[in-house]
Amino acid sequence: MAYALLLPGIAYFTVYFFYPIAVEFWASLFRGQPLIGHAQFAGLANYVVALTDATVRHSFLITLVYAVGTTVFTLLIGLGLAAILAGPVRANALIRAIIFFPYIISFVIVALMWKSLLDPYTGILNSVLITLGLPTQNWLSTPSSALPTMIAVSVWKDVGYAMLIYIAAIQGIPEQLYEAASIDGAKPRQIFTRITVPLLMPTTLFLAVVSMISNLQDMSAPFLLTNGGPANATRLFSLHVYETAFVQLEIGYASALSFLMFLIILLITFIQFKLLGREVAY
Amino acid sequence: MSVRFMRGFAAAVVGTLLVGGSAHAQTLTVYWNAGHAYDAYAKVIEQFEADNPGWTVQWERFQWPDMRTKLVADFAVGNTPDLVAEPGGWVQEFAQQGLLEPLDAYIEADGAEMGYPDDWQDFSVSRNMVDDAYYGVQIHLTCATLVYNTDLLAEAGFDAPPTTWEEFREVAIATSTNGRFGFAPNPVTSYYWPWLFQNGVEYYDPETNTVGFDSPEAAEALQFVSDLIHDDKAAPLPVAGADYEGPQKLFTAGRAAMIITGPWDVAPIQTGNPNLNWAIAPSLTNKTQATQAGGVSLMIPAAAEHKDMAWELLKRFVSLETELEASLANGMTMPRKSWAEHPDVQANEILGNFGQCLAYARDITAELRLTGKSARVEELLKTAVDEIIYNDRPAQEILSQYAAEANRVLAE
Repeated sequence: MAYALLLPGIAYFTVYFFYPIAVEFWASLFRGQPLIGHAQFAGLANYVVALTDATVRHSFLITLVYAVGTTVFTLLIGLGLAAILAGPVRANALIRAIIFFPYIISFVIVALMWKSLLDPYTGILNSVLITLGLPTQNWLSTPSSALPTMIAVSVWKDVGYAMLIYIAAIQGIPEQLYEAASIDGAKPRQIFTRITVPLLMPTTLFLAVVSMISNLQDMSAPFLLTNGGPANATRLFSLHVYETAFVQLEIGYASALSFLMFLIILLITFIQFKLLGREVAY
Repeated sequence: MSVRFMRGFAAAVVGTLLVGGSAHAQTLTVYWNAGHAYDAYAKVIEQFEADNPGWTVQWERFQWPDMRTKLVADFAVGNTPDLVAEPGGWVQEFAQQGLLEPLDAYIEADGAEMGYPDDWQDFSVSRNMVDDAYYGVQIHLTCATLVYNTDLLAEAGFDAPPTTWEEFREVAIATSTNGRFGFAPNPVTSYYWPWLFQNGVEYYDPETNTVGFDSPEAAEALQFVSDLIHDDKAAPLPVAGADYEGPQKLFTAGRAAMIITGPWDVAPIQTGNPNLNWAIAPSLTNKTQATQAGGVSLMIPAAAEHKDMAWELLKRFVSLETELEASLANGMTMPRKSWAEHPDVQANEILGNFGQCLAYARDITAELRLTGKSARVEELLKTAVDEIIYNDRPAQEILSQYAAEANRVLAE
């Protein structure tokens, strides 16, 4: 009976998850265009090439910078906002809604809006800089500033979600703990760092894992904001895999890259659980 | 449930099957570029449906990168559209993979009547062939050339557009004032080909199977553009992205005096700023006068369900009558020789000016595409151009590095 009840779930995951992963691994063993055209069996050659490919290394490193940067800033700012808005702040429901709003809109809209704001020649951000007498910036068109700008846009979009989850978690911490700390003479900063932050560790773990996985796989931001440019400064791993598969038609190689990323994400998630997965009891 | 209800239900099911069966409703799926969804083509589809009762044309419009993604996925699952427009290069690429239907039998049957291939510009035919077989039919034939703001040039004291690189640089510097730029370059690599060609660069040598974009001429051409941006401050850094419309928008807003573009930007300029005084100039000359040819072709996937009907629709799209209607309304240039000779085309200033560039426009990527490694080589060239333009790296050093990598890819 138990297996019968599990069957729909097993069937769903088999068709939509395990089967595609198996097909991807199979395709990664071929050179050329498996699935659509001519291909030759190459064994693990694609994996060997990937591990020595300078472009892959570059893409992976900037993806790591992007994922860690976006995750850390999203969580820090989200926690800060939650700490303020979990308390009795006037119009806090409205403020929360405004901050959360970017999270529910499509990245296509976000990208169009930010590209317009950041346009070096017609964008409002540079107009503000000019008004303030400051030099204008090529936000997305200078290799050194493109990746930080992309991280900032992603943080702006995601921070509302982190804030909301943190608010729920903060409101779940028993009030008695704060009262006891106050009676013992703890200052607000000590209460935040010694009680709130440690007790939020399971929430932080959840947000860190979900955010890292999502950012390591992110293709929307580089595809829509910069198309990986300028000079490959924002060519994140997923975009590199996409271009390898759909533009260069190297489908076997792209499958190997994709499978490698799958293994890397598993490893990073395991490390996150080891570092942040502490038991919390109160 | 009553017997009467069951009888009624059964009659309804049988009736529906009979009606559906007799109508033979069929759908012809066509992939098209969103920017080319002209009224002339909508009318062709409308007429096609009227002439073929029971047939509906599902006209799906995409940006090129999105269409390619969807098409590759379609090929993978064997569920392809019936007719596809492509931006150049895909015909040979997919034909080599056995994914396209050879059109020889159709052309043998209908070629004389429709004028194919004799009425098409020669290179627009050869760029759609693989191993002497036809796999595509050109529908648009374009080239990019110099487009300039006549008022801004006149303000700076120039009565005529530049004709050489030296004159171009002089005009670009003189018109760069008050937040305006003399020239707005494009982030898309293909827009750098006119500069390379004008300096006599050969992209690919099929005899040695090597690329030639590491030559001193290629370095000089890209360094020229880079210096306009970084040294002369006469051009802005292109805004990074796959969007090729940035320079056109600056030009339309009167913030760039000159751009390099083709007929695809005519409608956006005219509608974006009807009061703008602008003109089209012949392509520049350095060692030679040259520019790049491009354009759209139509192809039928091998797995298409309705190949014969797709061919019928294709013939209507490329008829002289449709070409004239689409080009006169939208400024798009076409591949038929009889189109170029038509009095209405010759009397149209925009079409005439863009059309004159076709005489010296070149499509030299066709031979590289036959290697099956064109996309990887073009990706390397894109990275090299980006390094030179955005990072202001020395052109010769960068081009040598990336050409060596491209030659390694070609030798694999």
